[in-house]
Amino acid sequence: MKYLKKLKQLWSESGDKVEMPLIELKGLTKFFGKLAAIEDVDLSVEKGEVLGIVGPNGSGKTTMINVISGYYRPSRGTILFNEEKISGLRPDQIATRGIVRTFQSNVLFEGATVLESMLIGSFRQYKTKDWQAFFETKAYKDDHERVVGRVIELLKTFDIFNDIFLPAAGLSHGYQRMLGITMALIANPTVLLLDEPTTGMNHEEAMFVVENIKKISEQGITVLVIEHNMKVLLNIATRVVVLNFGNKIADGKPEEVMNKQEVIEAYLGTETI
Amino acid sequence: MPPAEIWVDGLVQSCIYMTMAFGMVLVFSILGILNWTHGQFYMLGAFVVYYAITAAGIPFPISLLISGVVVGGLGALVEKFIIERLTAPGYGMLYVTAATLALIFFFEGAAGMVFGLQDKGLAMVLPGVLNLSSFSISYQKIAVVIFTLVIMIAMYIVLNFTKVGLAIRAAAQEPDAASLYGISVGRVSVIVMGIGCALAAMAGSIMAPVYIVNPFIGRIPMIFSLLAIIIGGLGSLTGAIVGGIILGLLNSVIAYYVSYLSEFVLFLLVIVILLVRPQGLFGASIK
Amino acid sequence: MIPYLDYKTLLPRTAAGFLAALLVIFPVFTTNVITLSIFISSGIWAIAVMGFTLVLRTGQFSLGQAAFMALGGYTSAILTANLGMPFWPSFLLAGIVSGIIALIIGLVVLRVGGIYFSIITLALCEMVRLLAQQMEGITHGVRGLIPPPPPPIVLGSFEINFSTSIVPYYYFMILLVAVTSLVFWQIGRSRLGGTFSSMAANQILAEHQGIHLMKYRVIAFTVAGVFTGFAGAYYAHFLSIITPLMLGLWESIQIMMMSIVGGISSIVGGALVGSLVLYTLGIYLSRLPIYNIQYLLFGAVVVIVLLFLPKGTGLIDLWGKFWRKVFREPDEYEIPEEVEAAVE
Repeated sequence: MKYLKKLKQLWSESGDKVEMPLIELKGLTKFFGKLAAIEDVDLSVEKGEVLGIVGPNGSGKTTMINVISGYYRPSRGTILFNEEKISGLRPDQIATRGIVRTFQSNVLFEGATVLESMLIGSFRQYKTKDWQAFFETKAYKDDHERVVGRVIELLKTFDIFNDIFLPAAGLSHGYQRMLGITMALIANPTVLLLDEPTTGMNHEEAMFVVENIKKISEQGITVLVIEHNMKVLLNIATRVVVLNFGNKIADGKPEEVMNKQEVIEAYLGTETI
Repeated sequence: MPPAEIWVDGLVQSCIYMTMAFGMVLVFSILGILNWTHGQFYMLGAFVVYYAITAAGIPFPISLLISGVVVGGLGALVEKFIIERLTAPGYGMLYVTAATLALIFFFEGAAGMVFGLQDKGLAMVLPGVLNLSSFSISYQKIAVVIFTLVIMIAMYIVLNFTKVGLAIRAAAQEPDAASLYGISVGRVSVIVMGIGCALAAMAGSIMAPVYIVNPFIGRIPMIFSLLAIIIGGLGSLTGAIVGGIILGLLNSVIAYYVSYLSEFVLFLLVIVILLVRPQGLFGASIK
Repeated sequence: MIPYLDYKTLLPRTAAGFLAALLVIFPVFTTNVITLSIFISSGIWAIAVMGFTLVLRTGQFSLGQAAFMALGGYTSAILTANLGMPFWPSFLLAGIVSGIIALIIGLVVLRVGGIYFSIITLALCEMVRLLAQQMEGITHGVRGLIPPPPPPIVLGSFEINFSTSIVPYYYFMILLVAVTSLVFWQIGRSRLGGTFSSMAANQILAEHQGIHLMKYRVIAFTVAGVFTGFAGAYYAHFLSIITPLMLGLWESIQIMMMSIVGGISSIVGGALVGSLVLYTLGIYLSRLPIYNIQYLLFGAVVVIVLLFLPKGTGLIDLWGKFWRKVFREPDEYEIPEEVEAAVE
């Protein structure tokens, strides 16, 4: 694997650009008992893109994210990240490699304020080791100051700065989701997996989130967004993938995909009248 | 090959553990918690029977039922006023576990205060032995086995053929769906806790004449019924029965060969099971 | 406020210092053996409680802490009474052995969390007791071992003799508790403590933020094991006896109760308050002619604390509230300086 990487490096240094996809799913399958939640999914994610993942309920979208993030082990198939095989690693190992996800529900640290949530979630942001933290060495103190600064900066950027000393559980749904996204960001992701970030929100809140996703993408972070709402994706996605019953049925630009027959049927159940 | 008495003794133990385990699993399936106080209800049942017989002269079978009702009622109260509050959303497992553990001390203390610490012996209600060709069994022990059979059949009937049983099974499998059908999960929880504790109490009652009665007799049955559930699988009623049988027989047989090691071996077995196959024989595997 | 995050100081530092000073000169006021014994024992149990609370911080409920006391106690007793080793090295070894065993057990057992872990620790606790009972040759079974008191410490012309007075035991306990408290307090308020708390607050989220759950669970469990081992060793030498029945499952449950009553939100403060209150209560209640009232009350107090105090709080939090009311400190919340600075 490292040999391949070196090869690619030499190749690109020679002037020709060989863009290997950032993430590659090959034949990804996950069984629960006898039911395949996702089956034989092939997917490439390019660096810097905003990839939308859509599909009706039960199509396997969340399972896919759960497998990529390490929460489930795939039954079959592999996941490559920067040509390294990450399928089968623990969630913390995958997060350490730069793929961080948000959750649809279960977003919060129980009992924590907004600020505390960010601080205890910023594990990945620190450069100093635990023993340095324990003895409060100078290196740690500087690191800690930097992290706190970064936390505050992020909170300000995404506009959830107003009540950072209040319990996170008291925030409105929309802000809680944003907090979840901000927590994912403080973990220094190269790739951000967003699990239904706008579900349950009204139009305003959804647009608020969409704006922020745009900001995130502009910073160079690759984003995968699971969404129900095609309109949201039209706004931000460069590419959309459609799942149905665990299979990939479409892959392309949002406008193209939206108008494909199979996609419409998947959502509506039968041919449109 | 151990002599017949060992097997009989094992069977008797199996019956008790089975009954206790069954009650514990019922509670676990509906309430989602392990009731550490289960053994204390066994103890309280024994005391109720003791006093019913010695102080009030009530015949044994009726005393048995009384102890089931009284202690079952107590269990229901505990559910309603303590457990229910601590399993509300927002509370973790920690709270109920801590509370039920603390209640062990509470009940032992209360029993000690009210009944005194001395061992009390209950005269055999069914004195005498049945003499078979090579060995003899006391009638009391036979009664234990018969009692357990009756209870298990009764449970089977209740769970499968009554409305209450249906509600219980529904709530155990799909609490949300059940509540949509008008089944109050809170009510079912109270009933189930009552039944579970009643089972424990009756187990204690029927064993009261066999061993002694004091405030601490609940400890060992609790631990052993816990072991039985693990062997059989947390959350599985069949598992409770099978686990109880295996445990009782194993304990008796191992004790026959290496008396001092039997507990140790059983604990070790349980640890291995939890590490290797935590769902036991029949339990649902998690993830 | 997370009930697990220690960065709000519950006792102003001056008060803590004052109380600490008082505690240190306490024996000047009384050489009553009983009173001092109560403090010594409470201190020892407090250390075990701190271990329990630390492990609880990582989201694990250990019912086996008394086993580590037993392991530490027996190690030291065997080394001193059976093998004639001097006290100090054997005391040190007791903690180390206990820690190593905690490490090994933790690596195997912490993989499964939750209720399974609790049951396994329960089983281990009882197994330790059974082993101590059965290995008659080494442990003298139920009769137990009689560890000798620590040897006199000679400083110049001044001799501290453990055999003649209970006061040296008291000071050594203070030293032990102080060192343990310092370590646990620092863990609690450091980033390590925050990491632990995140695991307790939301395990799945913590893992996805990059926290290796197993590693931190094992760290907490091992640290708890080391200090609990020391506590057990000291306990054995203080009482001059250790038997298998002294430290079993029921003592583990008592440790848990001291933790809950004291307050799980504060590793050190909760442990100290909880153990002092329950232990003292226990001693005085056992004197009353009413049988077993202390057990009844312990159980009742724990259930009351769980039901009626806000989630995750205990006596130490009540004390904190009281203190703030008395001294009219408005801030529920102490904002650390680096946050203040960044917020500007």
